[in-house]
Amino acid sequence: MSEILKMTNISKIFETEELETHALKEINLVISKGDYVSISGPSGCGKSTLLSIIGLLDMATDGEYLFEGISATELTLDEAADVRNAKIGFIFQSFNLIDELTVFDNVALPLRYHSEQLTNKAIKARVIECLDQVGLSHRITHKPNQLSGGQQQRVAIARALVAKPAILLVDEPTGNLDSKAGDQVMELLNSLNRAGTTICMVTHDPRYADMATSKIQLLDGTILQAPSAKIIR
Amino acid sequence: MKIFSNLAIYQIKQAYISLKQQPGFVFSVVSTMGVTLGALLCILTLAYVMLIKPLPYPDQERLYNIEHQLVNHGDVDGSAFTYPNLMHLYKNQTIFEKSALLYFDGAVITSLPSEPMAEVSFVTPQWFEMLATKMAVGRTFTNTEKLNSYNPVALISYEMWQTEYDGDKNILDKKVSFSGISFQIVGVLSKDNVELPIAGPSFRTKIYIPWDFNTVSDRDRKAWGNDDGGLMFVGKLKANLVNNQSAQQRDQILTNLINDNWQVQVSDHNFFKGWSININTEPLKSYIISDGEKSVILLLIGTLGLVVIASTNIANLFISRTAERQKQLAICAAIGASRKQLFSGIFSEACLLMFVSIIIAQLIAYIGFSALHHFLSDYLPRINELTLNYFSVFSSITILLLLTFVFSYVCLKMINYRVLNSTLQSSGKGNGVQVSKSMRNILIISQITVATVLIFINIVLYKDAIKLVEQKLGYETNGIYSAVLALPNIERSLQAEPISELKKALLELPKISGISQSMRPSGFGTFALTTEADNKRFSISGKDVDNHYFSLINQKIIEGDSFSDADIKDRELVTIINDVFAKKLAPNGSAIGIRFNNGSRVIGVVKAINIPGRVTVTPRFYYPASLTRNMLLIKLHDGQSLSREELIPILKTVNKNFSLFSFSSLTEYKNRRLFSAITTAITTITLTIITFLLSGLGLYGILKYSSQMRRFEIGTHLAIGAKRKDIIQMIIKDNSTALVIGVLLSTLILLGLYIGFSDELSSYISSQLIPLFIITLGLISLVSFLACYLPLRQYINNPAIHSLRGSE
Repeated sequence: MSEILKMTNISKIFETEELETHALKEINLVISKGDYVSISGPSGCGKSTLLSIIGLLDMATDGEYLFEGISATELTLDEAADVRNAKIGFIFQSFNLIDELTVFDNVALPLRYHSEQLTNKAIKARVIECLDQVGLSHRITHKPNQLSGGQQQRVAIARALVAKPAILLVDEPTGNLDSKAGDQVMELLNSLNRAGTTICMVTHDPRYADMATSKIQLLDGTILQAPSAKIIR
Repeated sequence: MKIFSNLAIYQIKQAYISLKQQPGFVFSVVSTMGVTLGALLCILTLAYVMLIKPLPYPDQERLYNIEHQLVNHGDVDGSAFTYPNLMHLYKNQTIFEKSALLYFDGAVITSLPSEPMAEVSFVTPQWFEMLATKMAVGRTFTNTEKLNSYNPVALISYEMWQTEYDGDKNILDKKVSFSGISFQIVGVLSKDNVELPIAGPSFRTKIYIPWDFNTVSDRDRKAWGNDDGGLMFVGKLKANLVNNQSAQQRDQILTNLINDNWQVQVSDHNFFKGWSININTEPLKSYIISDGEKSVILLLIGTLGLVVIASTNIANLFISRTAERQKQLAICAAIGASRKQLFSGIFSEACLLMFVSIIIAQLIAYIGFSALHHFLSDYLPRINELTLNYFSVFSSITILLLLTFVFSYVCLKMINYRVLNSTLQSSGKGNGVQVSKSMRNILIISQITVATVLIFINIVLYKDAIKLVEQKLGYETNGIYSAVLALPNIERSLQAEPISELKKALLELPKISGISQSMRPSGFGTFALTTEADNKRFSISGKDVDNHYFSLINQKIIEGDSFSDADIKDRELVTIINDVFAKKLAPNGSAIGIRFNNGSRVIGVVKAINIPGRVTVTPRFYYPASLTRNMLLIKLHDGQSLSREELIPILKTVNKNFSLFSFSSLTEYKNRRLFSAITTAITTITLTIITFLLSGLGLYGILKYSSQMRRFEIGTHLAIGAKRKDIIQMIIKDNSTALVIGVLLSTLILLGLYIGFSDELSSYISSQLIPLFIITLGLISLVSFLACYLPLRQYINNPAIHSLRGSE
């Protein structure tokens, strides 16, 4: 399986005037195409920080990070944005949909920022395809606040898929959902992975963490337990 | 009632305690509002005093100034009385129950050792009755000083009594002398008297003399065609005519009275064929304000604009503060505070802040009054009546309540009481306190509208003023002084010799390079001229100058010759005209040789000069000055200077009868004439900068808050791949509607001003306004762009997680 990302000795330190917090300590990690990785651990262990660095939303303080062979530590903010747009799909706990935009426009948004300018027709086709995948193509004219939480998260998944990313980064996807809607979302993620989508998910729910094919447990910024194949020692 | 007052005291106390912990917020509010409200109070009071407050005289609404217009074929040629017409009006009018003649002049007071120059008003006795003049000592003029009584008595001002006579108790034993006549002082005006600024704000009468002694020459007293700006007529309308006669009827009666007689008197003057006299009556109150009204209204618009911008900024600060206090408000709501109680808490805080601001504003207004008094009392009438009064107190209380309500209302609008109640239950999530998008847009639109209007008006006024300041005069002013001499004890025909000796004595001084026996370049009289060949009639500015005048002030002769020694000595009938007049006389050829009916002949053409502070260049002519002319232009070598104190001993050495009536450099004259333009330029550029900064800060504040509100949205855009420029474009695009509406509204306001005041604004309207408007829009766009961009920097110049942190 081809390698999508590789982290070597990644550290993250948050500094304030009086305090230095080591959020991540020498993390080594490889995610390959088709993987379904879960990252779990108690609050404050560094899960979300790790996911932010994987997703190029944040920069590591130290270490080497290659995303599809490119050194992510040397990217400018705008170059990182390009990579995120083309290669990474995000799914957030709080959905982060834009209230003023319709479901269609929310899903189409990444394509508007795409380096390759697509025609409106191509955008429409791709958006509807993605909404079909999440079962919401009948809701394209609705605004996010007219949908249930589960539906909103499915719109967010469609948005994450729309630019055909190399990896989906999922941060506590069920945190704001009831159990039924949470199960539906997880089922959708499972089916996406089965269809070949690479997923890296942060969750503190062991039931959902178990759904992943590889599990990483974090404690105090270090990897506690992981399948040996995934960790470079 | 008691419960209410206890609650009010409690809330004010709480407001005080809460504000004490926010010194930055308090300072921003109090300093911004204190200064802008101070400026507003100052200008509001000025507008009240000048435009609304009745004159401090009995039955002031019945006091009228009479304007006498010489009309040349429908065009007003001059707006001053001719002496015989004035006397005819005084003796024959039946409309006014009391009337007074006035003539304003200056004189060198020879009875005082320092021989000071003093402003003199020549008046008829009823002047003092009309104004109910109070006396500190003695009496006013009475029947003993009526017309043609020639009683040599004088009244002096309180100021003159104190400064020149040290408040001498025996003042009524003294005499005051000028122009060879001694006048017995019979009274001193009271200190509390408010002088009517009818001769202009800068004219403050030191001595009142009976009308008979006015300085109009015997010849001019009989000249039906020579008008004189110093002659005035003031009347008190008969009480029974106030409601029974329209202003037009009144003007018509007076016009008929004067014009019918005048037509008979000038019937043998060919020059006045087709001319007539028109009489206008105008209430004294509005007459003395004249151009001042425009300045005050402009100042008022400018200050109101600043207050709107400052208030918007402060509203924004209140909004941010309310947003910060969400938790505190939620706790209050949770323990049972009603919406009304939350409002009264916010109201107490706003009220306390506005109260302190308005107190500071009183101080600023007081300083403003002193500044206006110091700098503008010679330029705007009634400034000496400016003080904190009932009107300013009433305005202060109104502003205090109005702003307190506005700021409290804006804060209250933000609070969603229902959501606020559940804020604590949902462990801090949810937004009970938020500024709606429409409120944000209103704030942006109001900032843009007011700023665009203010900046545009200020740029237009600045450009207009700076054009006057930088205008080339066409003559030199540096190192040239103008002296006006008085030789009271020597008969006019014998004055040539001492003046000639004085010129010689002055030229012997090494620092003096030249002398011309002429008036300063900016002063002209009005004359009637008719061409001999084609009987063309001109009412035209002119003056007498000597043979050194043009070379001394460096005014260029472009055709023909200057005056020769012989022209001056023999007072030859020769004339030099400016190029504007030459073009009128001979549009296609040379004007040299053209003759006028008075026998004079054009021998030269000079380049027209610009009078400082005036835009238009009018036709003018110059004729040879008499050797008895009592005015000198003195030119010094480079780097030299000359004072009044240096000059007086030289005058006295040549002839002890010489007095120095006035002495100033041409540069001083020029600066005095440009004062209004310079003040306008400084005021407008200051207002532009303040407006620019205030509106910039205001927009920044609103958009910063708006960016904060949209932080997670911005983070989401960044997470899915938006680049920095995408975010900047998005924020600009989102705010562009408000910006465009603001610009459109300001354009509508400007168009409204243009349509509503087209006559008053005609001198400012030109195609050059288009680039100025584009510059204004450019400045506003720049401010708006910066206001959009700067708050975004913290989000777009940091990793995207910075904006997303906390979104869960």
